[in-house]
Amino acid sequence: MPRMSRRSRSLRRIKKKLPGGSTKLVYAKRQPGTTKCSICHIELKGIPRMRPFEARNMAKTKKRPERAYGGFLCANCLREKLKQEARQS
Amino acid sequence: MFEIGRVCMKIAGRDAGKKCLVIDVVDEHFVMIDGQTRRRKCNIKHLEPINQAVQINKNAPAPEVARVLNEIGILVEEKKQKVKSEKKAKTARPKRARKKKELPVKEKVKEKTKIIKSETKTKKLDKNKPEEKVEEKA
Ligand SMILES: [Zn+2]
Repeated sequence: MPRMSRRSRSLRRIKKKLPGGSTKLVYAKRQPGTTKCSICHIELKGIPRMRPFEARNMAKTKKRPERAYGGFLCANCLREKLKQEARQS
Repeated sequence: MFEIGRVCMKIAGRDAGKKCLVIDVVDEHFVMIDGQTRRRKCNIKHLEPINQAVQINKNAPAPEVARVLNEIGILVEEKKQKVKSEKKAKTARPKRARKKKELPVKEKVKEKTKIIKSETKTKKLDKNKPEEKVEEKA
């Protein structure tokens, strides 16, 4: 019987191979959901799914597209937004 | 719509949201732009025209484009030019000199470790000797 806190099914179970050839059960937290456009809710490209501790050691350029509103709006919604800004000015 | 002197906003890519000026018309699909963006060829689909237009020569140099845009109220930062490459070559040389300084430091450390090892060996020998004496006595 594993530790009681490990019995929760919210944890993912991974069978990991040890160097001796035997396998061991390892418990890991599940992958977070994909980031979505805040206007049309479509999945955003170029943003890796990862936990915050993984994101900490990653370069800023690898975490979102290097564009205005990169990581918040999709390219199509940004285009519509900037068109309206340009027409008002 | 995209004639020379038209002020535009870039809609796509890493320069999206920045304002620029049409310098030259390449063909029916492409124009040359400069201003807050990089000086580059650009598809018309990636541009949105703004209500303002300026009088400017074809293929005007970057400082003149910046001056004209600043008069309208669009701030453009000065772009740095080739002076940077000369500075990089100068900074690359002293790095070799630093490596020579590091070597004698490592030698000193090795000497210290050797002394410590030799001391430990003598200590072990000293420990063994009294033990042997004890066995003899027993
Ligand atoms: Zn969207």
